[in-house]
Formats: sequence, structure tokens, C-alpha cells
Amino acid sequence: MQHPTESNSQALHSGPVVAASLALLLAFLTLMVSHHISRLSPGLDKLVHSYGYWIPGSQGKGPDGSIGSYTGKETLAIGVWLLSWLAFHLMWRKQDLDLAAWTRIFVISLVAITLGFFHPLSDPLVLFIAGFFGLP
Amino acid sequence: MSAGHYTHDNFGKTVMRSQVAIALLLLLCLPLANFWFPSAYSIKAGIHGLSAISALAVGTYLTHRALPLVKGMQVQLQSLRRWVLAATLLNLAGAISGNWIYMRYRGQDGPRDWILERVPAIHNVLMEFKEFVSLFPFPLMLSATALLYYYGLPMQTRRDLCRFVGITILVSWSFLLLGFVVGLVLAKLRFV
Repeated sequence: MQHPTESNSQALHSGPVVAASLALLLAFLTLMVSHHISRLSPGLDKLVHSYGYWIPGSQGKGPDGSIGSYTGKETLAIGVWLLSWLAFHLMWRKQDLDLAAWTRIFVISLVAITLGFFHPLSDPLVLFIAGFFGLP
Repeated sequence: MSAGHYTHDNFGKTVMRSQVAIALLLLLCLPLANFWFPSAYSIKAGIHGLSAISALAVGTYLTHRALPLVKGMQVQLQSLRRWVLAATLLNLAGAISGNWIYMRYRGQDGPRDWILERVPAIHNVLMEFKEFVSLFPFPLMLSATALLYYYGLPMQTRRDLCRFVGITILVSWSFLLLGFVVGLVLAKLRFV
């Protein structure tokens, strides 16, 4: 077992933890927003779907089916996840951020996003916001 | 004397490991049976079942490794991060095979059509939920793995960092469980 010295214990920063977990939240949020957008109209569904055409099986037909616009939602989420993780990591890797406060924000946000996928709860809110933008 | 300190001897460890191995083998018989299910999609279903149950088993084991991390105890970080890496790979396999079998779920006269016709709420509420929360465990586990390798062994000097990684593992397992249970409900209702 290696004994950490004073110098390398000082070298540890909490920034990378916040970067990794904030990127996760943004990815899950992207998944949620793109999912609700795709449900508003066939045109919007096609738009979201078009990001996922690169995934094999995204456009099949018949009994074998296809993954449909789910592929577009996944692609957008992966893009936001990896790019934001890289950006936040580069920004905060030498910084110490308040992890006690962030842990609370992280868990509460994760619960809120999870509930956003539960249609009986989220649909009224989604329709209200969509109506605000004049969407069907 | 505290009742919390009991060191298992070698025989005790052998018994426990044998129990776990036997239980896991029996549990894996459930998805293995899919390979003989009379359906053109039995291979897809079998692979998804095997990877999902393996991911769940390793994820559940990891909750026991994550708790000492959350409590700030000294843990064997090298072994832990190898297990978390394994869990990440199993979750990735579960997500990819899930995408694969999901094609058939949405296919012509597939389970989705059957469910929408008879019990639409199961698709509109449960499945629309499962499709997404089942994607959560992989990125959460990957994030935990990346942090464990990024900080390396000196990480143990920072209790708050260890605690956060422990929480990430626990959260990942809770989504794994949610997705798994809904997946079982679905397979029980209508197989692909």
C-alpha cells in the first residue's frame, strides 16, 4: 500500500468529479428533452431521428423493426455528455469545488430528471411548455 | 466487545463464495433458457438477458464495496476499480444488446403493438421510462471508473472524493434495478 505524501494529497482537486457528474446530468437532461420534443409532432420526431441514422438498425422496417428516433436521442446525449465532460474537465481540473454542496445538487437533479421520464408526471408540464412555444 | 468485527476464516470464505457461485449459475439459467425459446429473436433475447443479469449481479456486489467508500473507510482501491471497470463493460453490453432487442420490440406485431392493444399504460408509462433509465447505469459506472483511475491510489486521502464515487456506484445500481425489474415485467407480459 502506497503512503500518500503531503504533496500528492494537495495535488488532488475535486474539479474533475464535478466535471464528470455535471456532464452526466447534462447527458440525461438531453435524453429527456429530446425525448419529449420527439413526441410533440412527426416532424420533430424525424428531426431527432435524423441524428441517429448512423446507428445500425435505426431505420429498419417489418418484423425485425428498428430502434427509431431513440437512436437520435442517444446520439445527442452521447455528444453532449462527452463534449461537456471534456470542456468542464479542462476548465476545473486544477480547481477545488464544494463537493458537499454539489453532492446534494447532483442527487436531487438526478431524481428530478428521472421523474421527467415518468409520463403521468411530466406530460402536463411538457404540454404546457410546448403550448407556450405554440407547438402542437 | 463490538459484534461488528468478525473475520471470516478460509472455510467460511469458501462456503460464501460457493453459495454466490451456485446462486449466480442458477440465476443465469433464466436468461439461458431464452436461447431455446421458440422465436426468431431468441439469440438477441438470450444475450440481452445474460448481460443484464450479469451487470445486475456485479452492480449489486459493488454496492457492498461502495458503502465503505461512502463511510470514508480504507478500501482496496486497485481491486475495486477493476470491479467497477468490469461493471462498466457489462452495462455497456447490456445497453448495446438492449438496443438490439429493442428493434424487435418495436417491430411489426412486436411486443409494443401487442401491449399497446391490450395494456397501453404498460408501454406508455413503464416502457417509456425503462428505455431511458436503463441507459443511465453505463455512463454513471464509466464516470466512477474514470475517476478511480484518474486520481489513483492517493484518492484515499480525500474522503469527499471517495464518498462521491461511492454514491455514483450506488446510484448506478438503483437505475440498474429499476430497468431490470421493468424488463422482467415486459418479458413476462410478452416475449419478443
